[in-house]
Amino acid sequence: MSDTAHLVFAVLALLALALIVRLVRLQALKAKYSVLWLTVGVLLAVSAAVPGVLDWIAGKVGVAYQPALFLLLGFGFLLLLAMHFSYELSRLETRVRTLAEELTLLRHELDDRQD
Amino acid sequence: MRTAVVIPAFNEAEALPGVLAELAAAVPDHAVVVIDDGSSDDTAGVAAAAGVTCLRLPFNLGIGGALRLGFRFTAEEGFERVYQFDADGQHDPSQIPILLAGLENADMVVGTRFAVGDPGDGGYRVGRGRGLAMGLLRWLVRRATGRRFTDTSSGFRALRRPVLELFATDYPVEYMDSVEALLLAVRHGFTVVEVPVRMRERQGGRPSTRNLRLAYHYVRVLIVLVAGLGRRTRLGATA
Repeated sequence: MSDTAHLVFAVLALLALALIVRLVRLQALKAKYSVLWLTVGVLLAVSAAVPGVLDWIAGKVGVAYQPALFLLLGFGFLLLLAMHFSYELSRLETRVRTLAEELTLLRHELDDRQD
Repeated sequence: MRTAVVIPAFNEAEALPGVLAELAAAVPDHAVVVIDDGSSDDTAGVAAAAGVTCLRLPFNLGIGGALRLGFRFTAEEGFERVYQFDADGQHDPSQIPILLAGLENADMVVGTRFAVGDPGDGGYRVGRGRGLAMGLLRWLVRRATGRRFTDTSSGFRALRRPVLELFATDYPVEYMDSVEALLLAVRHGFTVVEVPVRMRERQGGRPSTRNLRLAYHYVRVLIVLVAGLGRRTRLGATA
């Protein structure tokens, strides 16, 4: 990787990390997600700051083409994340439905009492 | 025996008054509960004008969600027998006694548009595509439950207390809830029977779903059914 490209990626990684830290500090991210994204940010920053790291890992696990390892890890991570969100969404939908039922029953009871 | 009729209604202000008037004439001693499933028209007003109980959902939950609320409400109110009735005039009040009579020796009764053993020839016609899809559902339900049902998607159903309590919390909320509900009841070891009834064409409103969305839901129910095949043995003992 050329020095310029290296610099660009290091800056991008730092920006990503800064955004994550900011969101966490604003408490716009729930703690459970902040841990996840902070880990991702740190990993990105490390791999950008020390370009040899990914090559070294790729060599260790026997991946000849280093970017393939990076993409594989990224893809796997996003896949797991998407599955996790589907799970959370299903749970939230169940809760929203139950809340809608409760609300309707309570409103009915209230109307009854006012009559 | 205290009996309630649950009517899920989504934008049915047009057909609902007629249905409610018919019910008041045919079964005056039954409590009528209309579930307004987030309608944008005057469905709730029409129900209130008819003097029946109307539960208004804050947004549209779909027919399964509306039914579950209806079952939950009637279960909490202590009703012993509950039946579903369509708001669009498709169901015939004169058939209610036939449906309820089935509860004498079953926990749940499904009114079928097709005579048993003679699907497609009960005076109710369906198109070829829908006929095929219904045939597939019939076959799958038979594989999953080990029983024959001729009209798996019929929404003209009656149930009594133990099933009502189950449905109050566990009624399937996705579209095509009727097929899943059938499986649920059978899997819990309840006796489910079909009785032939007469049905009419819908008198107002539009069918809620068509084409692509319908296809998607067939696939979804297919997955539910296939996933249920593995559980057949365990539940076969109670069936």
